[in-house]
Amino acid sequence: MLCKGITESFGAAIHALNTTKLTDGVISRSKRMMLDTLGVGLIGSRTAVFNKALTYSQSFKSDERSSVWGKSQITLPPPYAAFVNGIAVHSMDFDDTWHPATHPSGAVLPALLALAETLPSRPSGLDLLLAFNVGIEVQGRLLRFSREAFNIPERFHPPSVVGVMGSAAASAKLLALSPAECIHALAIAASSAGAPLANAATQTKPLHIGNAARRGLEAAQLAQMGLEGNPAILDIPSGFGVYYKDYSPSAMTVPASGDFKWMLEDQDIALKRIPAHLGMHWVVDAALAARAKLENTARNFDLGQIRRVTLRVPSSKYVDCPLPSTEHQARHSFQFNASSALLDNKVTVSSFSEAQINRPALKELLSKVKVETPKDNQPSFDKMYCEVEIETDQGQSYAARCDTFYGHWRKPLSQEDLVDKFIVNASSVLCSEGVEGLIDVVGNMESERMLNPGFISQVDKQSTGAVLQPAKIVNIRLE
Amino acid sequence: MISTLQKTIRPVWAVRGLHKSAVEVLKRPDPEDTVTASYGRFISEVKPQHLSSLVLHRSKRMVLDSIGVGLIGSTTDVFELALQHCQHMYAPDDISSVYGRRGSRLSPTLAAFVNGVATHSMDFDDTWHPATHPSGAVLPAVLALSDMMPNSKPSGPDFLLAFNVGIEIQGRLMRFSHEAHNIPKRFHPPSVVGTMGSAAACARLLSLDHSQCSHALAIAASLSGAPMANAATQSKPLHIGNASRLGLEAALLASRGLEASPLVLDAVAGVAGFDAFYEDYVPEPLESPNDGHVFLLEEQDMGFKRFPAHLGMHWVADAAASVHKLLVGLGPGTVSPSQLQDILLRVPKSKYINRPFPESEHEARHSFQFNACSALLDGEVTVQSFTPAALRRPDLLALLSRVRVEHPHDNPANFNSMYGEVQVTLVEGEILKGRCDTFYGHWRNPLTNESLRKKFRNNAGAVLRSEQVEGLIDVVGGLDTLGDCRDLLSQLQ
Repeated sequence: MLCKGITESFGAAIHALNTTKLTDGVISRSKRMMLDTLGVGLIGSRTAVFNKALTYSQSFKSDERSSVWGKSQITLPPPYAAFVNGIAVHSMDFDDTWHPATHPSGAVLPALLALAETLPSRPSGLDLLLAFNVGIEVQGRLLRFSREAFNIPERFHPPSVVGVMGSAAASAKLLALSPAECIHALAIAASSAGAPLANAATQTKPLHIGNAARRGLEAAQLAQMGLEGNPAILDIPSGFGVYYKDYSPSAMTVPASGDFKWMLEDQDIALKRIPAHLGMHWVVDAALAARAKLENTARNFDLGQIRRVTLRVPSSKYVDCPLPSTEHQARHSFQFNASSALLDNKVTVSSFSEAQINRPALKELLSKVKVETPKDNQPSFDKMYCEVEIETDQGQSYAARCDTFYGHWRKPLSQEDLVDKFIVNASSVLCSEGVEGLIDVVGNMESERMLNPGFISQVDKQSTGAVLQPAKIVNIRLE
Repeated sequence: MISTLQKTIRPVWAVRGLHKSAVEVLKRPDPEDTVTASYGRFISEVKPQHLSSLVLHRSKRMVLDSIGVGLIGSTTDVFELALQHCQHMYAPDDISSVYGRRGSRLSPTLAAFVNGVATHSMDFDDTWHPATHPSGAVLPAVLALSDMMPNSKPSGPDFLLAFNVGIEIQGRLMRFSHEAHNIPKRFHPPSVVGTMGSAAACARLLSLDHSQCSHALAIAASLSGAPMANAATQSKPLHIGNASRLGLEAALLASRGLEASPLVLDAVAGVAGFDAFYEDYVPEPLESPNDGHVFLLEEQDMGFKRFPAHLGMHWVADAAASVHKLLVGLGPGTVSPSQLQDILLRVPKSKYINRPFPESEHEARHSFQFNACSALLDGEVTVQSFTPAALRRPDLLALLSRVRVEHPHDNPANFNSMYGEVQVTLVEGEILKGRCDTFYGHWRNPLTNESLRKKFRNNAGAVLRSEQVEGLIDVVGGLDTLGDCRDLLSQLQ
């Protein structure tokens, strides 16, 4: 068996990385990711899928307990806390997205917070940031082992492949495992990787992130207890390579002195404005722009005058859904998101409710939508574009194109808009002191000497149960 | 639109035409016509009377062997580690029993996990064709779930039905690809089909409706798949443990209404479902149990192992044993390495069982070389052949250094067609040959009931008292007429 020492290098690197290697840039970006993830997880704790998973998870007994985001009275065994909180994060497809494509934070943060609550001594904010960034970095590295990973997926859902590895790496870091134990944590985690894409656009998709968090955590714990797997798991094609058609791994090195180049420094993350698959953000921005053109030109603008809407999008079957019937399908439908944007002049959290999905006006508009997949539109989040062309009964045509939506890594959300998104999300579950408290904790994380990892459930909490405040986020900035 | 054609058991054909929209709709199959839906219907409709007496007989043998192997597996390090993990990270629960540990109980999925780990811990469990270890993924889950059922435990026939559903689904799924027919290279089969089998069995035992049964399978698909690289390591038994646990979890989540892809078994271009795990994949619907369906176990029996090692080892062990007999016949009564100059093995090409110098018991169980040499020395391979002391025997190490391996073109990496040849050249120059086409225990040459019981007694006897051992033999033997499987559940620890 060919052993190029790659897995060994990962074990050594995870072990060697320490808080002095964190840079201002990486701390700043990862805190944004943490805040966004917490907010998205909090609003996600009100979804049906989260409740099903929570009820199921409550059947387990344990001595150690960890917090459930958004539920101050409930705790769970740590792996199941990671499970349900991870599900919450991905439940509305509202969580961060990276390039090459995956949702990195949801697989890592829930595991770390759950694990941190079991540690004999409280970690510092820097410890948590370090472990978090290890989890993100490992995912980024693994995604670069294949060309396949650079395109919108077709076979395995990426969070289920690299997410569990990131969770294992992050947990191993927080547990301060030895280099050998870190290797085995990765090896054990690899046997928990890989969920098929067919479950995207269904209620089960959030479990991919929940399970990545949970099983990566378990892998690290099993490694800590001495369980061993294949120490060449990243090196060989019958190891981690099974998840990819082309596979070319490379080593990870941490210079003993001098800087470590974090991938997050080079390649920022996309934060979503809309709880839907990333591809929808392009089509929504383009649809809103086309609609604005129509509104500016036509005097008595009436959507009934639309004869046809043409979408020019990259070819990707699992987000090509002409007539979605569930919220999950709607979040994965170019057609639905374009039509919602045209009908309502915005797409928000409430656009995906059952009532909204079943509106006759929306269905009528959907029946007029046609999808084209031009050859120059590459199915890659780094290269794709969306065009929306509206044709009216009068024969007029209004088209707009979006190359980079606002929130993409090339055009990141301003700090103000990021915090606004968080406030809207968190306020669905916490009162305003709780919301502000979380913003403070995350904002000052690198200065925290002893972090209370249960901070998310310690904030003064009352469920508002009320209608969500109107989204202030919809400040669309287009090309 | 599609899901509003709701849960009618019999498709209402006339309705199909009503809901087409003017728009060019993706060419989706009628929801009742899919392969996935056919599996959901089968699982929900099959009944104990659909099991023939041959299938009952064969599956009871599997249940007995699997329990025995799980019991002796409860003495291994990896089992101990898994159990401690469950007891520390979670807590003891009083629901489902743990093999061989009197008084130890865990939450059902965790019990399924540790018992599954026990079952595969020594690579001693049953093997089928196409290749997988079917029982270890199913039985622990069915046992754990039976323990969980609050008021009345399932009857013996219901228990056996669930078990057979779990086996059948695995067999059917493996027939969707050519890849599955050969010794695996990418995904470890129990991690792929085992999880699905466990989900199917548990869905059956929970009496889920056909839609929930489909969703159980789809949820399980997202929990399937582990790479071959972890075979021959201490993590391998967790593949079966997790298959059992996660299949049960999938069924429990489905019973709470969790939904997943209704097309998971169907092949949809551009969006992989279960076909993500295979390079070639052609799914077939499963016919109704009332429409002349025949269980695969009726046509294709199970292989049981005589010693705890990968199935491929059994061919070389039998071939080497016959050479040992010849050597011993030549005198002086034991085999000494000094007699042998060269050992040639002719075996199929398969990297993960070709190990010249295994360094752990896990590697030794996956080494043509090790098993051939053990059988050459001792005339057989047994549980004791893999102890730390046995692994380090100087005689054995001396023989290992004299082994060469060839992969003849006519020896395919396929448990249905392979053979094992051992050719020994003595220092005097004489050449002795042994060949095995079908080892004793293979489905073409099944263990007799007596041999099976002997294996069970050796295994179970390592952990239970002899009255318990005999009690289990009796209760499993009569499982198809048992009114209440409590008698079975109570005797596993």
